[in-house]
Amino acid sequence: MSELDAYRSLYIAESRENHENIVKNLLVLESEASDEAIAEIFRSAHSLKGMSASMDFKGMERLCHAMEDIFQEIRNGKMAVTHTLMDTLLFASDMMETMLDDIEAGGPGVPEDLDELVDCLKKWIGRKAGDMPEEGADRASSEIGECIAQGDLSTTVEEKQALNRYRITLCMSDQCDNRNLRAMIILQNLEELGRLEKVTPDRSIVEDGEFDGLFTVELASDAGIEAIKTVTSSSDIKEAVVEDQASPASPPAVIRKTAEPTVQKEDEKRPSQRAEKVEKGREVKNIRVDISRLDVMMNLVEDLVINRGRITEIAREHQMKDLDETLNMIGRSVSDLQNLMMNIRMIPLTHIFNRFPRTVRDIANREGKEVEFIIEGGDTELDRSVMDGLNDPLLHLIRNAIDHGIERPEIREAAGKARKGTLRLSARRDRDNVIITIEDDGKGISAEKVKKKAIERGLISEAEAQVLSREETIDFLFRPGFSTAESITDISGRGVGLDVVRTTIESLKGTIKVESTEGEGSRFELLLPPTMAIVTVMMVRINGRRCAIPVHNVVEVASLEQEYIHTIGGHETILLRNEVLPLDRLDDMFGRSDRTDILVVLQHQNRKRSIAVDLIEGQQEVVIKPLSTVVGSCRGVSGVTIPGDGEVVPVLDVNALIKET
Amino acid sequence: MGRILIVDDTLFMRTLLKNILFSGGHDIVGEAGDGDEAIAKYQELKPDLVTMDVVMPKVNGIEALKGIKSFDPNAKVVMCTAVGQEQMVKLAIKTGAKGYIVKPFQAPKVLEEIKNVLGS
Repeated sequence: MSELDAYRSLYIAESRENHENIVKNLLVLESEASDEAIAEIFRSAHSLKGMSASMDFKGMERLCHAMEDIFQEIRNGKMAVTHTLMDTLLFASDMMETMLDDIEAGGPGVPEDLDELVDCLKKWIGRKAGDMPEEGADRASSEIGECIAQGDLSTTVEEKQALNRYRITLCMSDQCDNRNLRAMIILQNLEELGRLEKVTPDRSIVEDGEFDGLFTVELASDAGIEAIKTVTSSSDIKEAVVEDQASPASPPAVIRKTAEPTVQKEDEKRPSQRAEKVEKGREVKNIRVDISRLDVMMNLVEDLVINRGRITEIAREHQMKDLDETLNMIGRSVSDLQNLMMNIRMIPLTHIFNRFPRTVRDIANREGKEVEFIIEGGDTELDRSVMDGLNDPLLHLIRNAIDHGIERPEIREAAGKARKGTLRLSARRDRDNVIITIEDDGKGISAEKVKKKAIERGLISEAEAQVLSREETIDFLFRPGFSTAESITDISGRGVGLDVVRTTIESLKGTIKVESTEGEGSRFELLLPPTMAIVTVMMVRINGRRCAIPVHNVVEVASLEQEYIHTIGGHETILLRNEVLPLDRLDDMFGRSDRTDILVVLQHQNRKRSIAVDLIEGQQEVVIKPLSTVVGSCRGVSGVTIPGDGEVVPVLDVNALIKET
Repeated sequence: MGRILIVDDTLFMRTLLKNILFSGGHDIVGEAGDGDEAIAKYQELKPDLVTMDVVMPKVNGIEALKGIKSFDPNAKVVMCTAVGQEQMVKLAIKTGAKGYIVKPFQAPKVLEEIKNVLGS
């Protein structure tokens, strides 16, 4: 278990995100019918389920699976979103949160009434409803009503039985302005946790500020002591003593602000001195820093880069030689600083790779398969922000490989292969990118099966299927709602997998491709930038103005031959090696240019467009700053970047440009 | 760090507050110039926290606070008040405000308060 404990906080963080997403979209769904919200909930439940399974939190896995099933039905139009269903789902999401709290506190996250809830959810799907008559749904909903009522009931019983009684003594800070208002907020917050039995001096006196900064609250609450400490720890409180009166044996918890210059009594001083001595014994070589602080630091460094550019410009304008020299030195320091910041954020891939062997073992056991799992290149480093998003896609690909790729031992033997399948996860740095591959020697992807399924799903007609190349066929695996799995297991084969994998990888500015030979195995290759903060862009000029295009969106650069430009349906297109591409001039952004003789072909999710530009200036690594907080969003521009010379250059939002059509 | 909705009827105060919050690493998800807009934006954006000016045209901060609370009882709203608006603040706290900041804003104090409220 201890190996998994290391990932608990990461699990919690990601799970909370997914939980939040579920709640958010449930609320959307309650107010309007939204396919997007349904898809979002489905995906979040799915990710959460996958993560929970790998952490061995069975309760959460079951709950998410049930939720996912429901949304699968809704997505397929087999079930309607009713008010009662929504109540149940919101109740389920509340339970999810409780479970996450428990897991965060080190528990298994399996509340007593979980089984009941999961059964309730299952009844909605009618999987158990083979024997249910017509009014089954009504009956189910009344049962769910009961479930919820029971849930409520159990809390009231709990309240009666197990209310903790706390005595909280609070001393307001001397530097606190309007201590009565601060006290009011604290009382109000405590009241949300339970019932205020008694406030001394009287509450109205405290609220009017007619007290000396010290007051006592007796609180009856089912909340834990931690919750109370959270409410009472604020910069306005010098000292808070929380006593649990039910268990007088436990020492009172004292929260004290050390920053406050107070005269300490002699007996209070001693323990802190002792603590200091113990600390001195150890030499501190590593410190833990909250990642958000690093993000702030990174932002500051980026600001520095931008402002240096600006000063350089000013120095040039005014021809100040001395300033120029100093600026060069600052420039060096800033870029060193930037590199250092990048390095600090880099984590070796072993952090996520390490948790996979267990997953592989578990799935292999369950599926009755023999798998040799090889990890290579775990020391390859990636930026944390990229790493965070990578776990789910990798988990999914690994599961797919075992579930659908590697065959059962007897089948393998019959095919003349070793009984044991090989699954290889490897990472390496290739120039500016990190390449991660997941390779198995299983049965490979059957193009025929994929075609059959695509036809069944109504994604293509039979005639269209005939002419598809193997590559194009395999690409269907990445379409939303597609699945070749014949049976549904709890780990893969819902068809959310590969399309989510691709979307996630693309959101990390990476790409994914698959090569597969039938009978020999499949190989997924993920190409990722080591960091998202720095992006390689192609600098171009349109109508004399500079514009940056992320290189991962650029397919090729060609010369623009006027005779190949045709107007189709009022829109210019260009014929490039037997391929017709829409041609954009971006006049509305940069103004009409008559010197455009270079064509840049852009791509996003296999869709291409081309734009006409005057000039290619070259490639450059830049920091892209988002626009949103400064000028709001701007169509076609995903951000700005400021190269060394200090000019502000817009970055073309290729994804939006391509999606727009 | 939180996703924050800033409500104030003046662009100036909004900008000032935005810069303070932004420098503290928070995301400003939206801005509203009056109470009606605040309620609508809250429902639309579901921010982690709202900074709410008290005195505003049309629907004032207290009414907007009520509106937001009725939509989301757990909403975290921090009132922005001027010195001498104590009664107003009391009313706001009784209505469910989680904290308050006093104009003129002092960056450390604002960030401290936001942090406290987000953490509670």
